[in-house]
Amino acid sequence: MLILGWAWGLLFAPQDAVQGNSYRIIFLHVPSVIFAQLIYFFMAVCALMHLVWRVKLAAYLIKSAAPIGAMITFIGLLSGSIWGILTWGTWWQWDARITSTLILFIMYLGILTLHGSFSNLEKADRLMSILVVIGLVNIPIIKKSVDWWSTLHQPASISVSGGSSIDPSMLYPLLFSVIGLGFTLISLGILSSRSYIFTREKNKKWVSEYV
Amino acid sequence: MFNLAFDNFNEILDMDGHGIYVWSVYSIGIAMIFLSFLIAKKRIKDIQKKIRIKNASS
Repeated sequence: MLILGWAWGLLFAPQDAVQGNSYRIIFLHVPSVIFAQLIYFFMAVCALMHLVWRVKLAAYLIKSAAPIGAMITFIGLLSGSIWGILTWGTWWQWDARITSTLILFIMYLGILTLHGSFSNLEKADRLMSILVVIGLVNIPIIKKSVDWWSTLHQPASISVSGGSSIDPSMLYPLLFSVIGLGFTLISLGILSSRSYIFTREKNKKWVSEYV
Repeated sequence: MFNLAFDNFNEILDMDGHGIYVWSVYSIGIAMIFLSFLIAKKRIKDIQKKIRIKNASS
């Protein structure tokens, strides 16, 4: 689905009247930043489950999802930066949307560093969950930054509630790219969490029997 | 909607001078995602091997 979306967007979607072919970066940039935020939201839900109900698996899922979130946020920032040089004439701007996304990337790295700095893994899980919940405040800031502040970054072009401002010939490949990247990241998440669960539970009988 | 937006392969690569940027972004993105899959698969294999060795020795 991802290959179909990207092939459609890169080869068949028409040129943009203003941006020419540079806009084709959208089929990687927009799905990346959508999932950069969704993965964080998923981690926050897991963090609450771990803090409130002491669900061990929830902490394992946070630890497995954080590197994927960091990677996809980096791809979002990099693709935005390269798109920026073509459309705005600058690689970087301390604009509200871009800065809050950079903070999200730093949060992902901070969560991983915090967890890695404790030898007591149960304590690391708990503190990591607290940090994830604190960092959740950044997600609505990223989403609303283009409305709250005057930014170089344009407002959202697509909306879940409808009223998208882009032509269907560009919108459909974009939707395919979003759904395709979603499935790809879910597969990656399942693989990563599987290896992390095995690592953490390696002394348990069920793991020995399963492997 | 399904007409190729370019006339030939060179145009696809060049994209009116934007090709180097567009293809670089996609190459880096695909490489990072692909590498993440390889790392995840290797980790599973490594931990499974460790557990099997531990099972065999106990």
